[in-house]
Amino acid sequence: MKPFAFFPGCLIPVRYPAMEFAIRQTLPKLGIEIVDLEGASCCPDPIYFKSKDKLSWLSVAARNLTLAEDLGLDVFTNCSGCTATLSEAYHLLKDDELRDKINKRLKRIGRKYKGTSRVRHVATLVRDEAGYDAVRESVVRPLDGMKMAIHYGCHLLKPSKIMNVDDPNNPEVLEKMVEALGATPVRHRNWYLCCGKACQHEAIPLNMMHALLSTVKDVEAEILCLICPTCFSQFDHGQMKVTKHFNEDYHIPPVYYFQLLAFAQGIPYEKLGFERQRYKPESLQRFATSSVHVEG
Amino acid sequence: MAKARKPNSDDVVRVDFDFRRQLAKKVEGNLASFCYQCGACVGDCPAATYSDEFNPREIMLKVLYGLGEELLVEDSVLWQCTNCYNCAERCPQDVKPVEVIISLKNMLADLNIYPPTVEKIIGTFEKTGRTTPLSPAVDRQRERFGLPPMKPVPMDEISKLLEPAPDEEDDSE
Ligand code: SF4
Ligand code: SF4
Ligand code: SF4
Ligand code: SF4
Repeated sequence: MKPFAFFPGCLIPVRYPAMEFAIRQTLPKLGIEIVDLEGASCCPDPIYFKSKDKLSWLSVAARNLTLAEDLGLDVFTNCSGCTATLSEAYHLLKDDELRDKINKRLKRIGRKYKGTSRVRHVATLVRDEAGYDAVRESVVRPLDGMKMAIHYGCHLLKPSKIMNVDDPNNPEVLEKMVEALGATPVRHRNWYLCCGKACQHEAIPLNMMHALLSTVKDVEAEILCLICPTCFSQFDHGQMKVTKHFNEDYHIPPVYYFQLLAFAQGIPYEKLGFERQRYKPESLQRFATSSVHVEG
Repeated sequence: MAKARKPNSDDVVRVDFDFRRQLAKKVEGNLASFCYQCGACVGDCPAATYSDEFNPREIMLKVLYGLGEELLVEDSVLWQCTNCYNCAERCPQDVKPVEVIISLKNMLADLNIYPPTVEKIIGTFEKTGRTTPLSPAVDRQRERFGLPPMKPVPMDEISKLLEPAPDEEDDSE
């Protein structure tokens, strides 16, 4: 298998280094080799900077993609927002006219976008390159019986014609990944709902998160498993607001999938940065003293 | 009872074509032209579900009528969109209402109108090449996980990319 160029984005390396640590620890154990991309910038983000000027947004995204092209590698991201921007750029720049326009800008810095590096979300590397069985085999401490709700988030799946990840109306990739940990995925009624992070309005995201968290609570999930740092921040911060605003008690720790995988692969709970979360997945600790010998 | 009357010239809807031309110059800004107002984009729109003011079909209708002055304002309803892309999934005409909405936000930016949070994040990106600001605490945290310090983004390159070309006609669809 060829290595993959790692596009870490900004939110994970800057605010959530535990997530980056988990990616770097877990992927090699699945046989996935990663190469760092030198000189990458923000993707740029598909919400704010894209709202200012789509052409500049595309130019910077195209520059990031040329860094992977220089290495002759496909690029993967650990954040759904970065995946959205880079995949969309890859898709839009198939248009000759638009590509010429962007290449005129790239010429100023001696670069040229060719469209030779595909964009992958890390979840699809697990599914398509390593396979669920490899995940299962890498697990030394199965999370048996742990009920996990899943938050797909929007940008992993949609727009489906561009993302090409899974059926947006009935996806299964994250359920399968959670099963490979030994855990039990449970689907909540509002599983498809967006977290509302991008909405510049007080009440809308609050109501959305309330709707979502209440159905997660209904299915008695211990953890809300997700694969995007933005979704994570929304649920870790927002849950407190929802609790206050609706005067209802929520305690559903959101956890980035690769931290769960790192834990299941034997990395101790204390090394995974959970103490920095507002809602800590303490229930994981019941696996910490299992009879399995744990290294590290 | 009101008598039926013949239509006169006052009943004619006047479309602001200049607004539509400007919008069509934005990447994918022209897609609203294909909207036939079926409303399929509304049912799964979370912003429409949780706000009485927001409706992607109505926004497309305003675009078709050229009612830019209702959309390109401070505190525009456009910012209620959550960017979830459900509308793009449901639209039988491949309109991608969310992309039309983002193109409209590009027009707002041309008028220098942004919500404060949005302006702040854009500013951080334009200054540092990242949307999340660095600090010494960041590298300390990274070190705990055995990760190397953050490297600065080559801003000389990024800044050069952000200037529009003088001959650049932003007219792709
Ligand atoms: S999507 Fe978010 S994390 Fe990813 S590079 Fe862009 S701003 Fe940074
Ligand atoms: S759920 Fe929220 S953060 Fe996650 S992809 Fe959707 S809008 Fe972005
Ligand atoms: S679904 Fe498409 S065609 Fe129908 S109203 Fe919405 S944008 Fe228009
Ligand atoms: S992306 Fe589309 S469906 Fe989602 S909130 Fe915006 S208009 Fe509604």
